[in-house]
Amino acid sequence: MTLWNILLDTLTQGSIYFLIAVGLTMVYGILKILHIAHAAVYTVGAGVGLAVFRLTGNFWAALAAAMVVSGAVGVLIYRGVYFYMLDQPRIVPLITSVGLFLLMQDLLQKPYLMGPYQHAFPAQDVFPSLTLPWGTVPSAQVMILVFTALTLGVLYGVFTRTRLGLAWQAAAMDRDMAGAVGVNLNRAIALNFLLGSALAGAAGVLVGVFYNSVYATMGDVPSYKAFVVIVLGGMGSVSGTVAASFLLALAETVLLSSVGYVLPRDAIAFLVLILVLMFRPQGLLGR
Amino acid sequence: MSPKTADVILETHRLSRHFGGLRAVDQVSFQVRQGEILGLIGPNGAGKTTVFNLISGFLKPTAGTIHFQGRPIHGLRPNAIARLGIGRTFQIVKPFSDLTVRENVLAGLGHDLYPTLRALREHYLRPDAVRRADRILEVVGLSEYADVRAGTLPIGLLRRLEIARALALEPVLLLLDESAAGLTHHEVEALGALVRGLRDQGITILLVEHNMRFAMGLCDRIIVLNQGRILAEGPPEAIQRNPKVIEAYLGHSGRVAHR
Amino acid sequence: MGYLVSVMTFASIWAVLALSLNILTGYAGQVSLGHAAFFGIGAYTSALLAVKAGWSFWPAFVAAVLVTGICGALLGLPSLRVRHDFLVLATMGVNFVVVAVFKYVDFFGGALGIVGLQKPQIFGWTLRGWGFLALAVAYLLLTLWVSDYVRRTWAGLAFATVREDEDAAEAMGVSVPRFKIYAFAISAALAGGAGSLYAHFLGSIFPDHFAFVESIGIMSMVVFGGLGTLRGPVVGAFVLKILPEYLRVVGDYRYTLYGGVLVLMMLFQPQGILGDNSWLWKRLQALYARWRPGPQPRPTSRALSAANPGDDPAPASRSGRVNPGERTHESENS
Ligand SMILES: Nc1ncnc2c1ncn2[C@@H]1O[C@H](COP(=O)(O)OP(=O)(O)OP(=O)(O)O)[C@@H](O)[C@H]1O
Ligand SMILES: [Mg+2]
Repeated sequence: MTLWNILLDTLTQGSIYFLIAVGLTMVYGILKILHIAHAAVYTVGAGVGLAVFRLTGNFWAALAAAMVVSGAVGVLIYRGVYFYMLDQPRIVPLITSVGLFLLMQDLLQKPYLMGPYQHAFPAQDVFPSLTLPWGTVPSAQVMILVFTALTLGVLYGVFTRTRLGLAWQAAAMDRDMAGAVGVNLNRAIALNFLLGSALAGAAGVLVGVFYNSVYATMGDVPSYKAFVVIVLGGMGSVSGTVAASFLLALAETVLLSSVGYVLPRDAIAFLVLILVLMFRPQGLLGR
Repeated sequence: MSPKTADVILETHRLSRHFGGLRAVDQVSFQVRQGEILGLIGPNGAGKTTVFNLISGFLKPTAGTIHFQGRPIHGLRPNAIARLGIGRTFQIVKPFSDLTVRENVLAGLGHDLYPTLRALREHYLRPDAVRRADRILEVVGLSEYADVRAGTLPIGLLRRLEIARALALEPVLLLLDESAAGLTHHEVEALGALVRGLRDQGITILLVEHNMRFAMGLCDRIIVLNQGRILAEGPPEAIQRNPKVIEAYLGHSGRVAHR
Repeated sequence: MGYLVSVMTFASIWAVLALSLNILTGYAGQVSLGHAAFFGIGAYTSALLAVKAGWSFWPAFVAAVLVTGICGALLGLPSLRVRHDFLVLATMGVNFVVVAVFKYVDFFGGALGIVGLQKPQIFGWTLRGWGFLALAVAYLLLTLWVSDYVRRTWAGLAFATVREDEDAAEAMGVSVPRFKIYAFAISAALAGGAGSLYAHFLGSIFPDHFAFVESIGIMSMVVFGGLGTLRGPVVGAFVLKILPEYLRVVGDYRYTLYGGVLVLMMLFQPQGILGDNSWLWKRLQALYARWRPGPQPRPTSRALSAANPGDDPAPASRSGRVNPGERTHESENS
């Protein structure tokens, strides 16, 4: 593998991890819930995107629809379920979330939804491929990198420039206090789910296009990976998540290209997770 | 042991604990003598609970040593220190909410079995254990609640349960962290009688108190802590008159020594 | 009839799994979503000894119990460092790593699994059908007895203190690490026996039999029936294992059911349908009291405090307010 390939793989894979994990991080930051069902929201996004793409043939319409539906599902999960568990021990929403994930994924596998098959998502040529002095960036990768850059910019703006971002930060620090000083908590949290879930939906579409494959259990691996990312990134810190996403991608890419195939990528990630949890529970990048 | 320290049961030497830049306990050296009631007072945040957490092993000292009956105990885990005979209560009560009051006390009675394999064989609801638990409940006045789930008790009774559990360890030294907080006048008096009674049975007592009148009336000796350091040490009358103490209290929380 | 016998055998094996998880989660308060890993370790130990070393069922079964118990003690080590939701993550990780090892290490048969296991024999009789069911039920009864015995010992009391408050447990002379490891070891050993039975009943095992979804299934059985009780996990396992076999609709939606059960129970009845404070159990007790007037039995409440906080049987507060602080300033256990 050339250096260029390693760099490109790392950037792409890291972007994918980031897009999936950032919603989880936002939810964890504000509610301290490990929202596993997020991975099912991501699959919903991919499925809706594909359906709309087949109907319209328009990638942008598919992306928009995926974001809207995923965002709505996310808000629904919050208002319909987690909302009633906010002052319970954190185990309760976690077990609930696992249940929700299993339930949604099982339903998605039914023949009238996605079925047990892989579906192609042939929208690879929406973006032009990019030729740089060091090598070529294929179009699907251009798409992912552009979208990630956009997301990073928007998130940075929302977090630092808007009242909503301030409200999130306040709530993440101390929810009771934030409520007491007049932050409309329910609205802030619902919007948090809306944005995080919409991003997950978008990630579903992008990953579906990138691998040209959409299927009901596509959320499995990313969901657990996303936990590795948020634990590495120091639990609930968005900037930590950015760094952790690319760090994990780099580690995996380098390991796989140098050591080769010992255990699957995902088992490596989980070993890392267990070790980090045990020896640096505040995250690799936490204080 | 030298004759001078013969009756010293616990000794800290330049004990320190820092949290980041905060010196919660700063080079604190003091001795607890066999059979006394020693009061540890000081304004909020003075480091009293931190001293308790250091002695009972819940926090590791940043520096300094703690000796109990002549042997070093800093570095032991809390359960080992408890089994040596140092019982403690928690300022923020920590009942085993889902267990009955009697079971809460029984949990302490198992202390010498837990490290052995007998713990896996022997039933805990044995008549002798239950009898001992009930006797302790009687001492602290919780007999009528023996079969009640601890989580349902009001705070005043929970403070007594904290003491009952600590007594189940058959302690040599008892650490009481603000056991009188939130109690009615009547209950405070009963608590005072209880503490004296325990001392008369030979248990040494180190207690943290905010209720000055209570502490002054009860303690043989008092140590005043302020910002992690010892400000004064002596019999209650001397402490009450000590200008440094009065100033520390007025300066910090506006509370006068006599409340 | 043969089908019923086989379903009942599976249900008995799963009841053992639920009871063993109950020791870890219901007694000692360590929530694990990786229990299928122990199930798998037991199954693989037994199967490998039978296929590679030619052991017969009985010694292989005993070895499976022992090996899994030791693995449980080792894989429980993360619980000494991480708690609550992070422990759940770690146990999930353990499940994934264990399944990956089964799947990608050739010694364990890889994705093709291990096939060709013999049914157990006793005095020249091969245990199949009713015979195997009897064996599974006997093991279930043994597990029930162990569960009940452990709960009454000092160790059982120590588990409860660890579950309720780790700091207070330490202050009572309980070594929290020691008893967490005990709980993991006992729980894993019982599950390992279930794995051995399962392997020899099916005759072949594959890595995916022990995947994360199975861990969720076991947890939903415990939570459905009532965490911390003995009746709960058994009833939960039988209901959730048998229902999908006989109702086709349910069979097609087995995992929807498991997931839905978890969500609904957490929302409306966190103590499980037969938990000490549950609606159904109170009705049953009232009925029983009416039929047979006498002194009320003292509720031996052992529900997981984490999933069943305080007294309040109400589903959940709707205030939308939260208490994020889970550690007091006093806890710093290293
Ligand atoms: N675990 C901890 N981490 C960080 N700071 C701590 C910790 N425990 C105590 N502190 C700080 O150390 C200082 C001393 O606290 P401590 O609880 O010992 O005071 P105290 O004398 O018991 O006060 P009070 O009368 O309010 O109980 C306080 O400023 C407190 O905020
Ligand atoms: Mg204090």
